[in-house]
Amino acid sequence: MSNKFYRLGCDIGGTFTDFVLLNDRTGEIRTGKCLTTPRDPSDAVEEGIRVLERSTPGFVAEMDELIHGTTLVINSIIERKGARTGLITTKGFRDVLEIGREIRYAPYDIFAEFPRPLVPRRFRIEVDERVRSDGSVLKTLDPEEARRAVQMLLAMGAESIAVCLINSFENPVHELMLEEIIKKEAPAVSVSISYRVLPQIREYERTSTTVTNAYVKPLTEHYLSRLAGRLESIGFKGKLFIMLSSGGVTSVETAAEFPVRIIESGPTAAVIAGQYYGRHFSIPDMFCFDMGGTTAKSCLIQKGVAGVVPTFEVGRVQRFMKGSGLTIQVPVVDLMEIGAGGGSIAKISKMGTLQVGPESSGAVPGPICYGRGGVDPCVTDADLLLGYLDENYFLGGEMRLDKEGAGRGVEEKVVNPLGVSFIQAIWGIHDLINETMAAAAKTHIAEKGGNPKIVTIAAFGGAGPVHAYGLAKKLGAPRLLVPPNAGVGSAMGFFTAPRAFDVLRSHKVSLADASFAEIEDIFRGLEEDAAKILRKEAGDDVIRFERSMDMRFVGQGSEVNVPEASREFAAAVKDNVRRLFDDTYEKLYGRTYPDSEVEFVNFRVRASLPERLLQLPRLDGKGGQTLADAVKGERLAYSPTARQFIPYTVYDRYRLFPTAQFSGPAIIEEKESTLIVGEDAHVTTDEFGFLWIDLQGAR
Amino acid sequence: MMACMFDPITLEILWRRLISIVDEADGSVARTAFSSLLRDAHDYTCMFTDPMGRELAQGTFATPGQSGAMALGVKNLIRKFPKEYYKPGDIFITNDPWALAGHLNDVCVMSPIFYKERLVAFTSCVFHHSDIGGRVASDNHDVFEEGLFIPLVKLYDGGVPNPSVLDMIRWNVRTPDEVIGDIRSQIAANHVCAEKICRMLKESNLDNLNDLADQIVTLTERNMREEIEKIPDGVYPAKGIIEQMKGKEDIVIQAKVEIKGSDIIVDLDGSSGQVNWGGNVVFNFTYAYVFMAIKSMFVPDIPNNDGCARPIKLLAPEGSVVNCKFPAAVAARMGVGHFLTEIIYRALSGVLPMSVIAGSGGTPAAMNVFYGKRGDGKPWHSVIIRGGGMGAGAVNDGNYVYIFPANGANTPVEIFESDTPLIVEKRELLIDSGGCGKMKGGLGKREVFRVPDDEYAPIPPVNLGIQAGRYIYPAEGLFEGRPGTRAQFLVNGESENSYGLTQLKPGDAVTIDAPGGGGYGSPFERDPEIIANDVVEGYVSIESARNDYGVAVDPFTGSVNMEETDTLRKHRK
Repeated sequence: MSNKFYRLGCDIGGTFTDFVLLNDRTGEIRTGKCLTTPRDPSDAVEEGIRVLERSTPGFVAEMDELIHGTTLVINSIIERKGARTGLITTKGFRDVLEIGREIRYAPYDIFAEFPRPLVPRRFRIEVDERVRSDGSVLKTLDPEEARRAVQMLLAMGAESIAVCLINSFENPVHELMLEEIIKKEAPAVSVSISYRVLPQIREYERTSTTVTNAYVKPLTEHYLSRLAGRLESIGFKGKLFIMLSSGGVTSVETAAEFPVRIIESGPTAAVIAGQYYGRHFSIPDMFCFDMGGTTAKSCLIQKGVAGVVPTFEVGRVQRFMKGSGLTIQVPVVDLMEIGAGGGSIAKISKMGTLQVGPESSGAVPGPICYGRGGVDPCVTDADLLLGYLDENYFLGGEMRLDKEGAGRGVEEKVVNPLGVSFIQAIWGIHDLINETMAAAAKTHIAEKGGNPKIVTIAAFGGAGPVHAYGLAKKLGAPRLLVPPNAGVGSAMGFFTAPRAFDVLRSHKVSLADASFAEIEDIFRGLEEDAAKILRKEAGDDVIRFERSMDMRFVGQGSEVNVPEASREFAAAVKDNVRRLFDDTYEKLYGRTYPDSEVEFVNFRVRASLPERLLQLPRLDGKGGQTLADAVKGERLAYSPTARQFIPYTVYDRYRLFPTAQFSGPAIIEEKESTLIVGEDAHVTTDEFGFLWIDLQGAR
Repeated sequence: MMACMFDPITLEILWRRLISIVDEADGSVARTAFSSLLRDAHDYTCMFTDPMGRELAQGTFATPGQSGAMALGVKNLIRKFPKEYYKPGDIFITNDPWALAGHLNDVCVMSPIFYKERLVAFTSCVFHHSDIGGRVASDNHDVFEEGLFIPLVKLYDGGVPNPSVLDMIRWNVRTPDEVIGDIRSQIAANHVCAEKICRMLKESNLDNLNDLADQIVTLTERNMREEIEKIPDGVYPAKGIIEQMKGKEDIVIQAKVEIKGSDIIVDLDGSSGQVNWGGNVVFNFTYAYVFMAIKSMFVPDIPNNDGCARPIKLLAPEGSVVNCKFPAAVAARMGVGHFLTEIIYRALSGVLPMSVIAGSGGTPAAMNVFYGKRGDGKPWHSVIIRGGGMGAGAVNDGNYVYIFPANGANTPVEIFESDTPLIVEKRELLIDSGGCGKMKGGLGKREVFRVPDDEYAPIPPVNLGIQAGRYIYPAEGLFEGRPGTRAQFLVNGESENSYGLTQLKPGDAVTIDAPGGGGYGSPFERDPEIIANDVVEGYVSIESARNDYGVAVDPFTGSVNMEETDTLRKHRK
């Protein structure tokens, strides 16, 4: 083990950057939060670290690792703020990106919308080259033509270039030529070639993934190198990790090369934290709900495990429907993300109704009440006006909110044009965003085979605890769980994330013809590769390897993953391997067909280090002795049941103690977030300071 | 027994759950199927019904033709036998075009689902199989020429397989491994569906689905009727003319759509009689595309089930092309059947202008079947289905490139090339192919396939069977919108008859142009700034901008010359 004993988790959201500092010796946790600085997000990181240093002097030098996640990548895609990207592709295939797979995702909806490609048509340049499906070259790429294509894109002002040629996954020779030319002719321009990003058959999926990588690469590279530099300059000598969408962590170099793999890096942290809590408290069905300034991310965690899927979509344009987003083919934790956050803007729709989100005011200018030049009323403005937030205790009082300004904005932009009352307007904004989230949540939970009426909702994020109660009511969920420091709680996930790497090699061979000695070599090679990456971090820890194989019936279009437990494949017996496949197939599809030939397609190795356990710190007794000690006072806030403003008791979360219980209506304030519960709620504090809220209205 | 009512939240949850169960079964197909038509092009539909055969849910990515026809067909099949006839472990198979989806390639596998030893539901799926034997062409004279006809038989009888059935199929198709593998994939899909339904019943403490089914169907019907009632009563007629291969007469469809309270009666009396080639449509399939039009106009967002169908009544004269009699040839039934949707839209465009779109280039869905032998004598076979530009609506340009009103995905070029010896030289959008209008029709697409003549050359001939349309009559516009471009089929640059079978030799290249969609509203009302962008991105040529839209775009700056545009448009008004 390293002798340094601090670990810092840092999550850069669209609006706020959250910090959690963990002392591995004492289990002590400190938190921080500051506004995200979109122009250079490392500003906020440095700022946050400096603030933490005031309470924990000298920790930076004692920091073993900084694990870091960010929603910058996904936000830049959703908001279309990535680099000006060009695409070089095979002659005749300029429109692959736009034609897509041609399926109508809503067969009975003749007005279904489809997402615009990230690269406009004029930025898609063809080169005259061709590789056959077996990897042989049909038409050689003329380097002069390749150079001209690159020059053309440069002249158009491309900042990043994606290269995706037909059949390149079998033979990347022309992609590599283009890569070299781009690096030579335009060293400042970032390049993504499909062979490195996703060496997998199917041109649309590969192009879409490569283009997305290119679109966010300059921004990610720039940001990560600045961040690393800055951390060094303030004395950080530990290891910097980035969270992957799949739930593991990786090096800065890998993240900068393949930003498409960290798209869901921020939200994943909350899921990893959720998994940990789910296991710790043995909650069979948990709905992890993380609402920040720009988006809300949720994930169903069953028996402490969230699913991982091989492909996902970003920026769905129509009612969160599958098929209405951009396809990205990399492993990702199975979570659902929608444009609903504290910064979601309320406006009047074409049909003359109220619409909230998905547009967000982000961190700058932000909601009106931040007083940073925002003019559009947002969810946070409504929350403030409803009495849920205290203008004098936002971020523990570090940021004063402008209630009057928010009121004027709502009046002007919602009340007047809609002709509704002020209360109708502010409650409408709050309720509508809850409804949007509830609809999406129901779909997600049902798709995973869950039932919203039995889930425990775990609330994270600055806005999560403000809206979790309303969401639970709409879902019929019986219970809420609000971890301490919920406003930054997702960053806790960084500490429990597995240090694991997945590697894969394709090698298509039938079981009958396969040489098991050769396969053993493949597995060993993969294990070596993965171990090389992990060894630096491993210290005395033992690296664990899990082998598996993707197999299928000859001629099938996709594979089943078959775990391979032996550590000596060369000695394996073909019949046994066949039986493993048949068992797996039968479990999935009911029947198997022992007479039909099967083949191997991919060999996989997951290398992992033992989980670094996190001790949940117990409440330290600095809290109050009686409930009265924790009561800050009373505040008028809106009750949807009473349909008017009623007094809510305001509690100081830091003064709550184990077994402290009380009933709603209540407002529980901590520095980074505020929990709102209604009249029918009963709140209990446990020994770790987690709040458990039972909703009596729920059955 | 008293029917138990579910509260709205429970109902919603269970309902969504049913749909996600079918979607899971649907998803399993992509993972277990062999032919690229299924695993890539998604030409299949999964659904399940209650024990009475009423459809309760279907896969989200269903193909409307299959699902609409199944909704009727499966109900009839189930009701053929008394309930006691069905045993756990039974699996049925049939491809009877009149019973189900209208041609032999669509094979249905159907299984009863038992829970606590009681019949609770049926799950069924129709897959479009890559081959079913017979002569692959649309000009056969009767269904016997078109391939193997499988009446309703048991594949498994009480869990015991009946290998003769699979053997019979194996020896009648060109690609036996693929077809048998895909039938197994159907069995797997039904298994996934059945297992999840039983689990849901258990978790929800239900003995059966009956009350849930009643409530879903009743609620859906009520919603549908409320929407129909908003339209003034009346009879709204429309006519469709559908071109045919050289030497054959056009087919005429006459439709009278009557709105009467909350009922819709569609009468196709006066349509052409059935023909002596493959364009005939069975009643179920005609119904499917009439249903598609009505569903999409009134309740596009309610999940499909028996309730949506109840307010709709279809009358189609027996012996007509839209209700053909056995043993008519039916292989190319989509060439006529798909047009029913746009004919219904046209009939109702006056009363529901915001709910319809202009004619679509993806009507009918086109299908290219390629097969032959590689250089080493190994047979190969692949199918590409494709659409065209969709028609524009009142406030939206037409999407592209989609099969409409059917549905399906393209076969990736890289998959096609690994399955065949051919080279795809192009798959790109066609400039100026969208019908001009205030809202522009969707663009069509050009694909070029080449037969290699080097060491990769296949043994000639390479056979190409095409089913398509719109070579003569383009997709029409609405409300002064212009038609989209026509389909085109070229062999080595020469226009060819594309109905029937084309034989290619090494070195040949075929060009297949998919038609554009119709425009909506006058092109002279289209926003000039949007046209300028169309020109800059290469969707509309600078000449078309000027001549068809009356917009002058500066070739150097790509911006609109407003003064000239005003003059151009003044003359056109």
